[in-house]
Amino acid sequence: MGADIIFEPLKFRNLTVKNRIFRSNISGRFDYYNGVGTQARINWEEKFARGGVGAIISSHVPISIRGRILPNYAVIDNDDKIPFWRRVGEKVHEYDCKYIMQLSHGGRQRDVGGVENSFNKALSSTNHTDSFHGLLCQAMTKDEIKMVVQQFGDAARRAREAGLDGVELHACNGYLINQFLSSGINNRKDEYGGSLENRTRFLLEIMKAVRKEVGDDFHFQVKISAVDHNNALAFWEKKGNTLEDSIQVSKWVEAAGADAIHVSYGSTFPHPWNPPGAFPMDHAARTYGGMIPSGVYSFRNFLLFRYRLLRPIFKFLWYRTQPDEIEGINADEAQAIKKNVSVPVLVTGGFQTASFIRKCISEGYCDGVAIARPLVANNDLVKIYASGKDLPDKPCTYCNKCLIHAISDPLGCYELSRYDGDYDRMIREIMTVFTPA
Amino acid sequence: MKDYEPLTSVEIQERRRARIVVIIIIVILVAIAAYLYWAFNPNRPVDYADIQEHFKYGSIGSEPANGIPYWIFKVMPDMFPEKLPGKGYASLGFIEEPGKDLPVGFSVRRVIVDRVGLNCGVCHTGTVRENASSQPRVIVGMPANRLELENYVRFLTACAVDPRFTVDNVMTAIAARTHLGPIEAYIYRTAIPLTREALIEQGNRLSFINNRPDWGPGRVDTFNPYKAIQFHWSMEHDDSIGTSDYPSVWNQRPREGMQLHWDGNNTSVDERNKSAALGAGVTPSTIDLDRLKRIENWLLDFKAPAYPYSIDEALAAKGDPIYKQHCASCHDFGAQLVGTVTPIDKIGTDPHRLDSYTYTLAVNQNMMYAGYPWRFSHFRKTDGYANMPLDGIWLRAPYLHNGSVPTLRDLLEPSEKRPQEFYRGYDVFDQKNVGFVSNIAAEGGHQFFRYDTTLPGNSNRGHVYGTTLSPEEKDAVLEYMKKL
Repeated sequence: MGADIIFEPLKFRNLTVKNRIFRSNISGRFDYYNGVGTQARINWEEKFARGGVGAIISSHVPISIRGRILPNYAVIDNDDKIPFWRRVGEKVHEYDCKYIMQLSHGGRQRDVGGVENSFNKALSSTNHTDSFHGLLCQAMTKDEIKMVVQQFGDAARRAREAGLDGVELHACNGYLINQFLSSGINNRKDEYGGSLENRTRFLLEIMKAVRKEVGDDFHFQVKISAVDHNNALAFWEKKGNTLEDSIQVSKWVEAAGADAIHVSYGSTFPHPWNPPGAFPMDHAARTYGGMIPSGVYSFRNFLLFRYRLLRPIFKFLWYRTQPDEIEGINADEAQAIKKNVSVPVLVTGGFQTASFIRKCISEGYCDGVAIARPLVANNDLVKIYASGKDLPDKPCTYCNKCLIHAISDPLGCYELSRYDGDYDRMIREIMTVFTPA
Repeated sequence: MKDYEPLTSVEIQERRRARIVVIIIIVILVAIAAYLYWAFNPNRPVDYADIQEHFKYGSIGSEPANGIPYWIFKVMPDMFPEKLPGKGYASLGFIEEPGKDLPVGFSVRRVIVDRVGLNCGVCHTGTVRENASSQPRVIVGMPANRLELENYVRFLTACAVDPRFTVDNVMTAIAARTHLGPIEAYIYRTAIPLTREALIEQGNRLSFINNRPDWGPGRVDTFNPYKAIQFHWSMEHDDSIGTSDYPSVWNQRPREGMQLHWDGNNTSVDERNKSAALGAGVTPSTIDLDRLKRIENWLLDFKAPAYPYSIDEALAAKGDPIYKQHCASCHDFGAQLVGTVTPIDKIGTDPHRLDSYTYTLAVNQNMMYAGYPWRFSHFRKTDGYANMPLDGIWLRAPYLHNGSVPTLRDLLEPSEKRPQEFYRGYDVFDQKNVGFVSNIAAEGGHQFFRYDTTLPGNSNRGHVYGTTLSPEEKDAVLEYMKKL
């Protein structure tokens, strides 16, 4: 048996990562309300670095307060945030782990805007609200586009100044850049809407601004949705971008100087296909209440989650298109993109089994995998692989309770069965992010 | 004051949505209300453009208080055929015209559900036939010569007290005729026991009629039911008999100011009309004055139909002076005594009808419609019977107030020579004697009413004017009177 491909370094143009396991972007409301980072964030990221991942793709890091998803996420909207992020990078680097900051703007997918945003609408490519929460938005003017493009550039510069190892543009999962890319969302009549080329213009302008700020020798990757499947939940919506569209976008992105493509799925978050697995409505009933004032459909959703008699309605809509597969759900799409670009391709989507990951990489589906939920369940997943195990003893169940709780509770694994039903033990484990052992 | 609490865009949109929802709810509620109003409007009669149709089938307001729910009315003959002398309401002498849903004299008004009530046409529309094989001619305004109103009341009471008159049975009978919507079906299930109670109550109030000689066809006790129904008087100690013929109602304008009703107890055509409407079932609060007025106005100059059969003009010409001499002073329009009361001891006819109308009743009648400008004030107790104009007299047989003399010819005979017994209810015309054929006991299985002049209230005595004329003179005056 030859060397384990999982533990072979992955060489990007400007960055080499020690193995093929990336902690995919996943956040938690660990920081100060105003977006200043806290020790808890550092503790959180350290868990994964210590666990052996090759690189951490940060949480969704808003480039502006208006572009946040939730309050209490550390942001990168100003130079005064650089010192904090430097501390994060330094801590992660202690474990020979790389840190790639995901530069993000939520656009209309602003779950809780916070008091700073109470009286503005979210920026988007469109005036149309989303079909899930009914979060109100307004189509960006060209001046606003210019401003946001520069905010991305400035944020990238700050990441580099903080000594981080690279940046990733969050151009998928229904956030702002995806709102421009998606034919299911973007209804603009100007040069930012209409053709695929026009819809990609916003992304490419951001890439140009980023490269202008960070230079050509800094790792820069773009995360895109291979398929929008914009009508997976709301069947009356348009379907959005296809795989073919995304392959073309990937080519343009590569040409614009991307060092890697990170493949995900769906033009909303959450999406019935992403993260794949369950939608725990009983837990949503406990956590979704904080979102009620955010959207014009959110109270309806709360009722659907809260009352068991109504749950079948949402259950039907949510599960009606969902495939059975979870692990490697996006592998085929990643392979299709990989065939059309020469830069490395990362893919996310339920990866948890070492042998499966090995197979995907060795057979050319991707060059590395990005994992979030299985790492939340088992922070030391890579060490487990290194010990020769194919799967952790208590693997992630894909219950998605972690993500449902992320709206209002500390991020962590809320699958009680993984703690043998010991609720106190579960909470103790979750709280370690504040008081590490 | 400046509003320092702006709304978030979500709140603004939700308020807009709430407004739309409220508007939609209001629109839906208004639509439901409009539908309910349209469907169950508590006062919507069926109207008729033609005045004669209105007279026969239009509403005067008898339905809200005393109307029978339409489908109950329709199914009672289905459920209780054994309580009728023949088939359907026609066997009680009600006139059924081809293509008409209800008999003449019944109107329909929507009072939550359609209800059936009586109108003027029921007592003042009759039929006449030239012979037994000819088709009956329906004549509006003439006395309802075949109507057995007393038996109709008895039928309603008999149905109501029958143990089979249950909600389920009535609903089953209705279902055999029509499909009621769920709302109407619910209303009917409620209405059936209420109707039953009301009919039993009516039967109780009118039970006194069973202690008196039968009215028979073409007759009604006008004022005793009035006492029981309008004033709720106990009839326990009142054994008066007021049974008398229905009058004709044409040509009302010249009657204004005359002493109206058989005993001349009222000189106001308007009051007499409103009082008669009470008899049909209206109440002071439900009376439909506009629709009643339409009839009243039309009747002012509505003329009696001319005698349709052959007249011996030469003979009639001979009769003219005889009539002028013996009859005109009391019976011609404009004559001195027409429309006045001839005292009972002078006219000598049966006094029961006169006696049934009491001073107390007159006083109480003058309390009716209190609070309205048309409050009654003209009712008086009189001491005899009024001298009636004789327009259309050929259709007003049998004669005298109690219908005790079958033909005009008989009336010209002294009391003892008048028929002691005869049959009422036949509508074939007796051209020779002027009146309806009265010696036929039955036709086509229908038994006519045997009129016995020896019963109280049925006496054929009195009014001996003309009885001393020679037979030729009688023939002549009879021929002349066909032209009145």
